[in-house]
Order: sequence, then C-alpha cells, then structure tokens
Amino acid sequence: MRMPPFTLHTPENLAQALSLASEMDNFDWVAGGTDLLPNYKWHLNPKPNVISLAKVQELTALSSTVIGAMVRVHDLANSEEIHPLIRETAATIASVMIRRSATVGGNICLDTRCYWFNQTEEWRRSIDWCHKCDCDTGADCRVVPNQNTLCVATYQADLAAAFIALDATIHLASGDGTRSMPFADFFQLDGMTRNVLKLGELVTHVTLPEDSVNWEGGYQKLRLRETWDFPEAGVAAAWKIEDGKIAALRVASTGCESIPGDHSELAEGAIGEWNGKQSIRDLAEGVRKAVKPVSNTYFPPAYRRKMLRVLTRRALSPLEHL
Amino acid sequence: MAKGYRQAPGKGGSKKRTDGKRVAGQQDFGVPGSGGSDPYSKLQDLDYVPESVGGWKKQPRGPHVHDRHVTGMTIGKPVPLVDSNWKITGQAHYGDDIRLPGELIGKILRSPHHYAKILSIDTSAAEAMDGVFAVATGQDSVNKFGVLPVTKDEHAMAQEKVRHVGDLVACVCAIDEATAIEAMNAISVDYEVLPSIHDMEDGLKDSENPIHDRGKYHIGESNVQKRVFQQFGDLEGMKDAPFHHEADWETAGLHHGFTEPHAVVAHWDPSGRLTVWTPQQVPHYLHRGLSAVLDIPMHQINVHRTFVGGGFGGKSDPFPHEMCAAILARKSGRPVRINFDREEVYWINRGRHPSRIQMGVFADDEGRISGIETDALIDGGAFASFGHVTTYYNGVLHTAPYEIGAFNYTGARVWTNKPASGAMRGHGAVNSRCAVEVGIDAVSEQMKVDPMTFRLANLLPPHSRTITGFRVTSTGMRECLAKVREQSGWDEKFRNLPLGKGIGVGCGFFISGSGLPIHWDPENFPHATVHLQCDMDGGVTVHTGAADIGQGSDTAVAQAVSEVLALPLDMIRIRSKESDTAPVDLGSYSSRVTFMNCNAAIKAACELRDKVLKAAWEITGYNPDVLVIGDRRIYYKHDPAIGVSWLEAVHKAQADVGSLIASGAYRTPPMGGIHKGAAAGLAPAYSFSAYVAEVDVDVETGFVKITKAWAAHDCGKALNPLAVKGQIIGSCHMGMGQVLSEEMKYGRNGHLMNPDLLDYKIMSVHEMPDVVPIIVESNDPEGPFGAKEAGEGPLLPILPAVCNAIYDAIGIRIDELPVTPDRLHKRIEKHCRKLGIDDPLELPVPRFEAGPLQQKLVERAKSHAKRDHLRDIQEDRSSYVNGVLFGFDPDKPMSEQKEGWRESVIPTPEDLADPKKRAARAWSHVERRHRGDA
Repeated sequence: MRMPPFTLHTPENLAQALSLASEMDNFDWVAGGTDLLPNYKWHLNPKPNVISLAKVQELTALSSTVIGAMVRVHDLANSEEIHPLIRETAATIASVMIRRSATVGGNICLDTRCYWFNQTEEWRRSIDWCHKCDCDTGADCRVVPNQNTLCVATYQADLAAAFIALDATIHLASGDGTRSMPFADFFQLDGMTRNVLKLGELVTHVTLPEDSVNWEGGYQKLRLRETWDFPEAGVAAAWKIEDGKIAALRVASTGCESIPGDHSELAEGAIGEWNGKQSIRDLAEGVRKAVKPVSNTYFPPAYRRKMLRVLTRRALSPLEHL
Repeated sequence: MAKGYRQAPGKGGSKKRTDGKRVAGQQDFGVPGSGGSDPYSKLQDLDYVPESVGGWKKQPRGPHVHDRHVTGMTIGKPVPLVDSNWKITGQAHYGDDIRLPGELIGKILRSPHHYAKILSIDTSAAEAMDGVFAVATGQDSVNKFGVLPVTKDEHAMAQEKVRHVGDLVACVCAIDEATAIEAMNAISVDYEVLPSIHDMEDGLKDSENPIHDRGKYHIGESNVQKRVFQQFGDLEGMKDAPFHHEADWETAGLHHGFTEPHAVVAHWDPSGRLTVWTPQQVPHYLHRGLSAVLDIPMHQINVHRTFVGGGFGGKSDPFPHEMCAAILARKSGRPVRINFDREEVYWINRGRHPSRIQMGVFADDEGRISGIETDALIDGGAFASFGHVTTYYNGVLHTAPYEIGAFNYTGARVWTNKPASGAMRGHGAVNSRCAVEVGIDAVSEQMKVDPMTFRLANLLPPHSRTITGFRVTSTGMRECLAKVREQSGWDEKFRNLPLGKGIGVGCGFFISGSGLPIHWDPENFPHATVHLQCDMDGGVTVHTGAADIGQGSDTAVAQAVSEVLALPLDMIRIRSKESDTAPVDLGSYSSRVTFMNCNAAIKAACELRDKVLKAAWEITGYNPDVLVIGDRRIYYKHDPAIGVSWLEAVHKAQADVGSLIASGAYRTPPMGGIHKGAAAGLAPAYSFSAYVAEVDVDVETGFVKITKAWAAHDCGKALNPLAVKGQIIGSCHMGMGQVLSEEMKYGRNGHLMNPDLLDYKIMSVHEMPDVVPIIVESNDPEGPFGAKEAGEGPLLPILPAVCNAIYDAIGIRIDELPVTPDRLHKRIEKHCRKLGIDDPLELPVPRFEAGPLQQKLVERAKSHAKRDHLRDIQEDRSSYVNGVLFGFDPDKPMSEQKEGWRESVIPTPEDLADPKKRAARAWSHVERRHRGDA
C-alpha cells in the first residue's frame, strides 16, 4: 500500500497557510491525517500538494465556547471546560489512538464514505470506478446506478450532530477574509460537494452560544463495535429546562446521509404541547421519516432508519417525565 | 526453595555440618555444574509427579503409560512459551522481516473480473521498463498443485481462465515497490468475460463453462467439487420420533483475520538450491508444491518457516504467490520478496465456507437422540483447497459426543467465482456443530427437559465407538458439562432471567490430529518424527518439523523432552524452521501437533535418556532400574548422595558411543471403518468441550453482548495450563466474532465489499466477555502424558452457547450467522408481529417447567456417570459401541440385530427425493466416466 507522491507544505502560521493556499489550485489540507492518509493510500482523489496545519498555532484555542479546528479530539473529550455533550460525543469517535491524532476540524470536514468508494485502487478498477472517484472515466454511481449527477456517499462524523444540537457557529477563513455561519449551514449536498468550503478556505474554529452551559443533552451512536467504527447513525439532542419545562429543544442526526440532518424545527414544534413519552415517540418517528439513508455502509438502510427512531428516543429519555 | 538438592525433602534443616561429613537424610549437595541458567539442582517437584509413580499428583482417571517418564520438571506447569521473549522484544522475524542483500520487490497483477477467459497478455511494456528484472505469466507455471493430492486444481498464475476477482494473472519484480507497481500496471491483458456464479445453489446446476474441468471424474457438467453421502443406523425409527427440530441454517463465509499478511522471500543460492522464507503452517506441502511447479527435485529446495503471525488454517495451503516469488527469483537471478496488502489476504482467503445447512435433530419418548439428519451445501469459492475434507467434516464430526440412533448426512461443496474457502480453526465442524447444539436445545424444550440434563443423559462413554466407527478413547464431556453447570449457576439462571438476559449451553467435539497423513500411507511413513542431539555442553537440540504458528508447538515439544530428561527448558533448543534440518512433518493443522510430535519427542527422549542412564550405571555401578533422573543429576534411588551429574553422564556416554543422538516417531494405530470416507474425521483421540454463555440482548436494537462465558475444555492433560487457557480464551474471541459480527460480505454484483479490517468486523476488547477457562483432564491413554488438542475444539461451543442464550433471553431461535444487530432486529420485529405485540419490551420470555422425562433423564445421567467412571479407570473393560443405549449388543454387527439398519454411502433415489434438500441435488449428476463420456 503506497501513497502517491505529493509535496508537503508546512506553513508556520495561519496567514502563511492561507497565502500558500491561494497560490495553489490543487491541494488538500491535512490536520491529524487520520482521514486523509488512509484515503491517499487507497489513491482516493490524491492531490499533488498537501498543506499541513500542524504548526499553525492560531487554530488550537480551547475554551468553553471556542474550539479551534486543530484541537485534538482526545483533548476535547478530556477537557473539563468543554460542554458535556461535546465531550461525550468526542469520546465515542474511533479509537484512543486515532483520537490522539485526529482533530476537530478534520472530523467536521471528514470525507464522505461509501462501500463502493473506500476501497483500494485495484478493487475500484474491478467495478469500473465510481462517480466520486471516477479516474476520468465519467463512471456512474454504483449505489444508485443510472444517475450521473449525484454522489450519495455518507457523512459519518460524530461531532457535527452535537454542534448542531448546541446551535454552534462555524468560522471559516481564506485569503479573501473570514466568514461565519450556523453550523448546519456549513454542509452542502452532495457527497462530493460536502460543504461550502471554497478552494483555499479552511475551518478555523467553532463557537458555542454563551448560554450553552445551561443546555443539557445526549448523544446516541449506532455502530457494531464500541471502538474504531464510524457511526452508522447518530443522534444528538440538546435542551434547556426552565421552571421545570422544556424551554428549547434541538435535535440533529448524522451518519445517514451525505450531510448531517438538523431536526430542530421538528423539535421546536414538539415542545409546545410536550407530553413526555408520547412526544418523544412522535419526534423520533419524525426524525426517522426525515432521513433517507442508502445502502452504502455496513448496516442496511432500513435498519439504520429504524434505529434513528430508537436513538432519538434514547437521547431524549431524560425528558420522558416532563 | 533452598539452593541445591536436599536428600529426603522436608527433613533437612538449615543446619549444615562444617566438617565435610554428611548426615544421612539431611545433606545438601553442591553444584552439579551441568548447565542451565540456575547452577543448582532443584528438588523433584512431587506435586507434578503422578501418584502411580510415587508422586503427589492425584489421578482420578487412573495411571498413564507415560507416568514413569514424568520427572516433575515442566509438564503441567504454567510456563511461558519458549519464543515469547523473541516476540515481546521485537526480535522475532516474521515473513516481512526477512531482508536479503540485493532483493527485488515482486508484485502480482490480479484479475478485475469474476470469471473470464484470458485472450492475450502483453508484458512487453513492463519488461522494457528501467528497473524491472523479470515478468512472469501462466506460461512460466504450467504445472498444477494443490494442498490435497486428490484435488490439485491450482496454478501459480492463471492459465487460460481467471476464476475470481483477485485471481493471479501475472507477476513482476523490480528494483523497488513503486517501479514494480508501475510495471504491473503496464501489463495489458485482454479478457473475454464469462457469466460468473456467485450463489452456491447455482453451482449445483449444469453450466456451459464449469469453473474447473476434472476430466472423466467431473460430476455432470456442474460445479460440484465434492459430494458426500453417509447413512448409518435406524432411519425408520428416526423418522417416527415424537420430538424433532428442523432448521435451515445460513452461515456466512469467514476469514481468519490473522495479524500478519502473507509475505514470502525466495532465493536461488549459488549452488543452485532454492530457499523460500515464508510464514507457513505446513512447510512440507509447500515443499512438495514448489517441487511440482518448478519441476525440480525436493532435495534442491529448502523451505524456511519464519515466525508466523497467526495462521488459524489460513496459511496451511501451498500458495500461488510463493510459487510466483520462486519463479521470479529464478528468472531474475536475484532474491525476490512479495508482501501482501490486507486486501490480497482476503483474495487468497481459504477461510470458513459460507454454508447452507439443513439440520434435523430427532428424539424419542425415552429422551434418547434417535437421529441427526444433515444436508450441508458449502461454498468453496474458486479452488478446491482443503474442501474435500471440509465436505466430510460438516457431517461426520457430529456423530459424537452423543449416542445417536441414526446418522443421515448429505454434503456437497461447489465451486463459485469467489476467493477460495479452505480450512479455518474448527475446520468444517463449527457451522454444523452450532446447528446440532441449537437443535438439541430445541428438542429438549419440546420434551420439557433441562438441556443440560438431556445432554448428560445421552453421552458416549469413554472407550467406545461412534456410529460411523470413530474410536473414542478418553472423554471428559461429562465433567465439562458438570463444571460449567456448577460454576455458571445454571440451575438458578436457566429460563429464570428477565427479558433480554439469557443463558445458554453448547458442546463441542473435535479431532486431535487427523488419522490419515494425506500424502502417504501411514503404514509406510510416520506422522511425525523428532531427532535429538546432545553434545559436550549437555544441552539437547531438538529437530522437528512441527510448525510453531504461535500456538506454542516449540514449547510443547521442548517440554516433552525436558520432562523426560529432567532438564530445565533453557537447555532444550528447538530447531523447527528449515526443511533442510527438520524431519518431514505434516505441519500445523487438524490439531495434530501436540499429540503427534510430543509422542515422537517422548520416544526420542526416552532413547537418549537410556543411553545416558547406561553411562550413569557404568559410573555409579547402579542399574538404571534403581537410578532416578532428577534435575541435571542422576542418583541412586535409595541414597541420593550417590549419583552423577547429567554432564558427567553425557560425557561418559559420548566417550562410549561416539555421538549422542536419538530419534523417535509417531504413527497412529490402525482404526476406523472400511466404508468410503471412513478415514475422514478419524483421529487417535478427540477433544470435548462445553461452554455456558450469558448474554444481554437489546430488544430494541438487536444488539447482543456476551457478558460472561464459562468455558470447560477437555484437553486430556494440560501440558502447559497457561497455553491451554490462552487457547480457550482466544477461541472464545474468535468464535464470538463468527457468531456475532464477522462475515465476508458480497455485494449485489458479487464483489467482496469488506476486504479490510475496518469493515470486516473482528470484535474489539470492548466486546470481549469475561471468560472463565476451565481445564478438564481426561488423561488420554495414547496422548503424550495424557494430552489431547486444545487449539481448535474450544472454538466450537461458544457459537451454540450464544445462540441458545439468545433464545433464553428473547425466545427467538437463531438459524443465521452471524447474528448481527440488523438481522436479529428483523427477527424480533417478525416475532412481535406474529405474537401481535407492538413494543418488543413486552415480549414474553421462555420459561421452564419440567416434564415427566426430566426425572427419568436425571437418573439415567447419574447411572451413566457411574458407568463412565468404571470405564475411565478401566475397571469396566467391556466393549461399547454407539447403539448400546438403544438396546443393541455391542459385540454383534448392528445390521444383524435390527432389520433396516443402514450402513450406506451411496444414496438411493428415495434418499434424494426431497426437492428442498440442497446437497442432495449434487447427487442428481452422473460422473462423466459413468456416463461413458471419457
């Protein structure tokens, strides 16, 4: 298993990194490398240039409301200041070894995954390639054949669901300046487009609302093994209790489609006439209906959808008696 | 322990005379000065010397023929493996660690098609590249090979057809890996794609292009590679049985998942000899394969087994890439190394067969198992590999541990366009054993009998014969069941746990060494040979061909020699790696190594010991009959002060006879029936095991977590309890993978979807339950010091134990493996719909109410326990064959005693009438030679 040759650039600070990026038209950012390097070894869309952010100090901020893109997932999971929902979610990612290297930004920008895509070059040659890495053959999608416009690869990162549930804001920077947006707006269909990042742009940090400390929440993840495995489905829920009543409720899902799902409108609608278990059941059913996984990961899509219902119920179980 | 040897242990004190005179019974002896890392002789450890020869070790099952060779050195003691320091310090050289000066890197071009004709191969562009030394194709390797002499169907590289995605087409070697890959991609191949077969049932049909052509032995025009039929016993009685459970099992294909991918280095030395370094379980078969493929005599080849990073059956075939390395090395004149990527490991495969097994278990109104009926269709993939044997093992290995009224087995193995299946830990027995044990559980439920009691009341006794003629010598099955029952708290928990919590039991039965050496007649050559040599340093070098694949065979053989010669382990040196220096050995498969090699080693060590004792006789003047061989010291039995050190005796022996060498061999005794296939499953001894597993089932998601497992295994005698426990715990992990998560998934167009360790789900440490390993010692009369196997048998029972525990937890009978959450969830949903329940949390849980048979079986089990004990200690030496429980006389042929008793290996049309039976369809074809086509 050999990586194709590439030039590695190691800028010392953010300005250098951004100016380097603006000079190149074909490159990848690398942070922890736990996603990019395996993909490179499998020759999945490798680029001739790779810019490493390892030395960029500006991206490592870590406080209760600001989380830098280069913060290691392990540090996030073990930092007392961080919101418990984020900590809980981070602790479920991959394995200890991978968390030590993987970063928050890398997790947010995780490449979408697919059984027909995450394979070696020889394997993909035997299926005549696929839409997401067509090696200039114009190959069709192998999951949903006979449509050549959309990639249905699945976004299987955990943190996004928790960030959406906590109504976080994501901050980007490029040579042209910076911009910010609600976390859910960062993602963009399809499995190849993935998000709104333009060429030369990167995620700098994520901020949480000031009152996020008053929010509680939970994260539920579907995966076969309690380590290594990517989420086959994930549900994060966050809520604020005021005077014994639910004042706000947000729900997000991940691991089922090409982008994470924000179900907060559904959740907001439910709190008006909250009725404990029944409301949770209805809400869970709503989440199941809102998400349509395809057959390109370990578990079959029908099962993943059904499990979304169970995961949502379990994430919301502390609200059963309200 | 005090330094030095002390006469009459326990009587001496710290008092030591300073005047040089000795006091009888209280004497410390000085340094014997005969090697070992500790210069002092140790006291004989009587805790480990059997009662029969004056020690303190209890022998509930009576004396053993090897008792008088026991010196209390290492046997029965937990000792770390002799090569463990090499491994933990990173100095063990595995296949990929071999580096030769000037070596080239080889790469293999593989087929992108499932099934295709090769029209042409153009290698000119690759050959013209700088840094490329040689390119080879099928034309360089026209000779066939295969692990079994009867089914040689492989070539180093494809001849005219490729048979699965990943099949070898051509290979190149170049100065470095990047160049080799580039050259590999520069080879252009024209294919004509043929319609491929992926479903094993399609393999039963006639095909225009059968995957292999076996000439006049070809079965119809189908892809049936092997078919087996065996019918024994009272089949009419079985059909009339009031209790029966029939299930149609589907089990997925598995890979061994060993840590080390295949790697090989080949080099032709200046004297024209080939050396191949490879992590092989069976170096001798590779030796033969290389000779056939390269067309050179075996004496020109040296197969060098490196450390093996896990085998489990997956490194026991001679492999095409090993041939490729040798061919490239010959062409290029330089050493060539080929390392596999993980994906290539899945393409060469040889893992567990995907199977469809129809299993019927029948019981009569006296609570006896009136029959087991099996129809097993197994998917062999593109090559035969060990499949001939697997086809038998799927049936014949469930003729024990229970006494059965009838045995009706039809099996078939087909070729499909998938990576080849082969031998994997628990070879062929695992899937069908799971089906049998679940059937037993279901039948006892119908009878309202505790499944534990049902099993205990139907066991074959020691020194008996199975229905198809296997000779059972020792069995610890009863003790295994009793121990797991007691330790797990079975009687309180069974059918008493709340929804989602369950407990289940399963048993296992496995061969301890295949009785038939597949390449030769056992009358002519032994199964195993061990040579010893002892030189002036007093240490003993052991030459054996037993392949240590991590299971600890080097340690076991060293222990056997160390025990007989009473030498510490560090004075025993094992040379087992090279075919140049090792005697021919069949290798590490069929759990044969401890049984056969240790027996050979004991024989060799006894011969060496006798030579040294003779020398000691001449020095001391005492006959060997009254000499005791202790730790590096040989002394007079009645006055230990009179003796001679090991080294002195060795020197004397050398002076007398010249070189001090010895040799021992093992061959199995004559045994087994005479029907076709009687040798399949035949072994000099069998291991038995019983597990109880406790599970948590999440009824909303279908997740199963094994919380605890009690694992009792009868290994005859634990030569090294540490190693046996390691095997038991490791087997639990491996079996847990098969029952809950591991499978080779094939996509809708036949591609293997998960050829990597992220998606091929081997369970992690988080899923690993607490395993309580329980060693049961049945003291096998022919095993070395009583030992039997512990490497494969312990894997079998964990599967049915978990399946039965799932039933106990939620009332659903499993018939599909692995029980992944999505599959189980589907079953739960179906079950809920059937019962009209909306919420799975309201599912009813099975409960137990003892029926009238329960007490009867409890009493029968009790009387059988007494019967077994008398046979164990050989007080009862009457003959016993399967059938005595049903009232047969063991000394007369069964067929004379009962009309309609069958012993048949050829099916009649009636036997094949049921259209639902799959393997039976394989018998609808006529072999070409019988049709007169050839």
